Amino acid sequence: MADKSRRGFLRTIFGTWFGIAWTALTASAAGMTLGTIRFLYPNALSEPPSKFKVGFPSDFETGQVDNRFKDQNAWIVRIRDPQLGDIIYALSTTCTHLGCTPNWLEGEQKFKCPCHGSGFKITGVNFEGPAPRPLERWAIRIAEDGQLEVDKSKKFQKELGQWDDPESYVKV
Amino acid sequence: MSVGDFIRNSQVWKSIFRHPAPRDRRNRVVVMLTNVFLHLHPVSVRKSGIALSYTWCMGGLTFFLFLVETVTGVLLMFYYRPTLEHAYNDILALRDVATLGVLRELHRWGAHAMVITIWLHMYRVFLTGSYKPPREFNWGVGVILLVLTLLLSFTGYLLPWDQLAIWAITVGSNMARATPLLGYEGPGAKLLKIGDVELIHSGSDARFLLLGARFVGGETLLRFYVLHCVAIPLAVAMLIAVHFWRVRKDGGISGAL
Amino acid sequence: MHTATQLAHSVQIGLGVFYLFVALMNVGFALYQCYAANNRRQGIVWSLVAGVFLVHSLAYFAGANWIISAGFRDFTTQVMGYYGGQLGPILYTTVSIILFVLFLRYRKFFTEPVVAWSILNLGLLAAGWSLTDDNFRKIITKEDNVPIVMLIFSVGFFTWLPFRRAVLNDERMANGEPPMEKEEEEKVLVWPDLVYTEMIAMIVCTFVLVIWSVLLKAPLEQPATTAKAPNPSKAPWYFLGLQEMLVYYDPWMAGVVLPTMIIIGLIAIPYIDFNQKGNGYYTFVERKFAITTFLFGFIVLWCTLIVLGTFLRGPNWNFFGPFEYWDPHKVLPLNNVNLSDYFWLPLGVTFPEGQGIGGILVREAPGIILVLLYFAALPPLLAKTIMRPFFIKMGFVRFFLLINLFQFMAALPIKMVLRWAFNLKYIIYIPEYFFNI
Ligand code: HEM
Ligand code: FES
Repeated sequence: MADKSRRGFLRTIFGTWFGIAWTALTASAAGMTLGTIRFLYPNALSEPPSKFKVGFPSDFETGQVDNRFKDQNAWIVRIRDPQLGDIIYALSTTCTHLGCTPNWLEGEQKFKCPCHGSGFKITGVNFEGPAPRPLERWAIRIAEDGQLEVDKSKKFQKELGQWDDPESYVKV
Repeated sequence: MSVGDFIRNSQVWKSIFRHPAPRDRRNRVVVMLTNVFLHLHPVSVRKSGIALSYTWCMGGLTFFLFLVETVTGVLLMFYYRPTLEHAYNDILALRDVATLGVLRELHRWGAHAMVITIWLHMYRVFLTGSYKPPREFNWGVGVILLVLTLLLSFTGYLLPWDQLAIWAITVGSNMARATPLLGYEGPGAKLLKIGDVELIHSGSDARFLLLGARFVGGETLLRFYVLHCVAIPLAVAMLIAVHFWRVRKDGGISGAL
Repeated sequence: MHTATQLAHSVQIGLGVFYLFVALMNVGFALYQCYAANNRRQGIVWSLVAGVFLVHSLAYFAGANWIISAGFRDFTTQVMGYYGGQLGPILYTTVSIILFVLFLRYRKFFTEPVVAWSILNLGLLAAGWSLTDDNFRKIITKEDNVPIVMLIFSVGFFTWLPFRRAVLNDERMANGEPPMEKEEEEKVLVWPDLVYTEMIAMIVCTFVLVIWSVLLKAPLEQPATTAKAPNPSKAPWYFLGLQEMLVYYDPWMAGVVLPTMIIIGLIAIPYIDFNQKGNGYYTFVERKFAITTFLFGFIVLWCTLIVLGTFLRGPNWNFFGPFEYWDPHKVLPLNNVNLSDYFWLPLGVTFPEGQGIGGILVREAPGIILVLLYFAALPPLLAKTIMRPFFIKMGFVRFFLLINLFQFMAALPIKMVLRWAFNLKYIIYIPEYFFNI
């Protein structure tokens, strides 16, 4: 029964010249639509390079959030992690709620997002407001010249257990 | 012969208006039929259907505001360049340098007013039950017009390229990022992958399509400009034509059965 | 921050003009009552009211410094701040729903012209006094907020008008007469009747728009920069209802699913509403269910949330009372808890991070089951029990479409109540796949 109706369907669309013509027309219209949508996706982007150097590990103090690279979408933070020890990592400045840029409030020791009030601890973990998950961290490493280099083409998410990945921090 | 009669009897006048002034019944009918703009209307209508207390003239005002937006928008386009370098300063200049510096105001407040009138129009159509058969389809056309009107306002909001603009659009467009399956932070998007290659990422999702980039920037400004000035207005104009056509074909403005 | 105790000169002049305008409105109404409605008593009452407003006007012109009492202002701020700062939104939403119900129930009373006029006057008086407060004035008179003031008044007026006519029509129909609209069945020529109405409407509209544009500059803030987001960052005002939903739902729900359902729901209205009555005239009695539902969506969930989002949401998206200073450092505890934590923590069960799908499903089982019950079990249950008559009349497809749309509409108030009552953050929490409800 199922086989028959399938054959019936195939016959309708390929069985007659008329069927073939309509099928070809539909297929090419669909192809053109898809092509148009694809056209709207640019192939070349004028984004700044994803890697940049931020200085030597000794330039950063423990417990401090470095705001200098906010334009480049990163905070450099050095903390003493209970498990990993003295580490430096690069936090993305994009709020995981709807993408505003939070501010580091030194007094309250938190990142506070102005748009809908999400709060993140210095580690990037969300603890208040509507943000559904922690801030992301960028890949960071010590380059050949001894400087720290942030690579924004790779990101690490805590809820996926990726913050243990050695690429996501630098041990000092 | 008075000057008025002289003009009305001239060949030029008669070539434009092919009938005498609409003073008697016959010519009041003819005027509606021979003028392309007036013939959006029928010749005669039910008295209850055109009472201000019935329609509030809100559909008409929405259309009028759409025309106001078109005219003022075209004028603004002569001075505005949609690039990161110029956009903000061009808007500043429209206020401080241009003669008649209220065009931007007319355009902006007209847009706000249009949002209000279209809501009120929908409100009255609902309250008079005018969406009921045979007008179901035209109500649907109306809903699409409502969505397009809001999108018009939304795309226009980015163009001044000030802090208000960029963050409203950042927040607004980030919702596209959360579209189920099609946005890279949407539920299920992570499940769409071939082997290890994720199909939906920040460079291939719905938001990327909208912005033309991964962040609100120059590409987005250009994209929103084209949508705002060309694509959406064309769609709205076409749908308004359908809408008006259907008002007449569905039996004119609704009235008590 | 305490507000200034001396009104600036420009504010006094503004208030003077405002009250003068209100006084003139009342003079007009008094004259109408006296001569058109032939009601002397009403005429006298409204002349007195006009006099009161005139006194206000003259006083402000003469430099009076009448300011809303500081005690009252502080009191409202304090009340709104109770219950961990949540009482504000709770009160606001509850009061608007109560007013909505009262209006529908006592529509006959509320649409009496004299009653409606009194309410308008009270509203204007409250607005006038509130405008003497710096914080209130700063927010109301922000350029992009002015359309919302217009929205409030026009939606108010255009709710009064159709309900007035509906009440009259319903009375007529109860007496066996046809609705008013039916009395005017005869056809009239479009030229001149309609074209002149349209022309006058266009002229008035142009006039208003030009005055508005000359008096009020379009806003332009600092040039755009991605490094610093203004606090608060708001969507354009007509989307603030959506932004308010973002407080309760994640972007994929509040920004994508719910708006899509609104659009689908609107388009579906004519196909769901099988009631053939009430086509082409104003009525309430004949379409109680449809009108109540639509009004709840449009007035309570859309318009009042826009007002809330514009006027009462300040820095960090905190709720601020109408007279409260928008302090960016105001701290409110926003620690919300997920349903899975409520369920598993007392049982002593914890789940590690980065686990597979199986573990996640177990962790979120309580929420998933609840949501499935809500969407899959509730509609058939309703069809069997209290909504059985509906189900029979509407048929399978219509009924389930209606109930599902209803459920999406109810999703917002439900989550609001859960948030207020239990600090509930997510019913289902699967950040691994961005699936939070
Ligand atoms: C650009 C937007 C729109 C324009 C220019 C427009 C214009 C008009 C006009 C001029 C009329 C004649 C009657 C009147 O003025 O009330 C009308 C009728 C109608 N409109 Fe619209 N409209 C728009 C959007 C909408 C929307 C958003 C809806 C509903 C969702 C809608 C649904 C209808 C229906 C059902 C009618 C027939 C009403 C009747 O026969 O009484 N329209 N429209
Ligand atoms: S964008 Fe940060 S809280 Fe909404």
